[in-house]
Amino acid sequence: MLIRTILVAGAFAMAASSPAQAQNLDKAPPGGSYKKVSELVKLPDFLPGMGTLYVDPKTLPAGPFLAYDHDGRLASTIYMVPVEDIQGQKKLDNLKAAGGKVDHVDMYFNAGHPGVEKPHYHIVLWHIAEADEARVAK
Amino acid sequence: MMARRTVLRAGGWAAGLALLGLPAPAKAEGVVEIRMRGNADGSKVWFDPVGVLVEPGQTIRWTNVDPGNSHTSTAYHPANDGRPLRIPEGAAPWHSDYLLPDQSFELRLTVAGVYDYFCLPHEEAGMVGRIVVGHPQDGLPAATLPEPARPPLPSVEEILRRKVVRIDQ
Repeated sequence: MLIRTILVAGAFAMAASSPAQAQNLDKAPPGGSYKKVSELVKLPDFLPGMGTLYVDPKTLPAGPFLAYDHDGRLASTIYMVPVEDIQGQKKLDNLKAAGGKVDHVDMYFNAGHPGVEKPHYHIVLWHIAEADEARVAK
Repeated sequence: MMARRTVLRAGGWAAGLALLGLPAPAKAEGVVEIRMRGNADGSKVWFDPVGVLVEPGQTIRWTNVDPGNSHTSTAYHPANDGRPLRIPEGAAPWHSDYLLPDQSFELRLTVAGVYDYFCLPHEEAGMVGRIVVGHPQDGLPAATLPEPARPPLPSVEEILRRKVVRIDQ
């Protein structure tokens, strides 16, 4: 009886933890509510300097956008924050993170593109070393 | 104004005139190329050239040479999301739709005058252009340009003098 209770409890515990573990974001496609950006708006599949992007449309414009290299490996997590939000001192709270080790961070201006038309900043959490950024360079 | 998809139709019409022994309308020679460009990190986007002088009926071709972005060529006209009228009265508006890298869009403008246009996703970034067709008698359209479009546009006089005006990047 005790063994059976432990097994049932264990199964419940596994079921309860599975949603968080089910979504493996390390490889493309990330699944869940993430959609390929090039299927949401008219943009190239692979963006030089970033990679192939996925986003949960509900989180636009800030993201996170998950960026994958040509082999489908997660390269970075990108947030896109409109300049007017920065100037307006908008608070961005609890932005989701893809997980995984962050090696370094870049932040640079972007003039806009379909999906995030307003001029904005890309805040890039690189999960790979700087020397490996060539994997998404082109 | 004739977009690429209507050029063939115009060609058929001209062929019909030839069959009737009537002269076809004159067509200006040469294609004027305008490139849609952006730098590597996407921080700057622009039409190259930003200002150009063309003859009435001459073909203008926009090509997206920016590998990391898509662009449009869209006339300043109320038909395009209520934008101000910045093309000659009586000229038809155009919108290329989004062009992915290496895609292009062609147009022929037959009404002399000044045409201002923009890139739909990059208007706020100042990606605008100006075409002068022929030697227009009228001045600039009265409608005011949206704020981001004002600084990059060359004057009509400069375009008439230089024929091609580029932005230094």
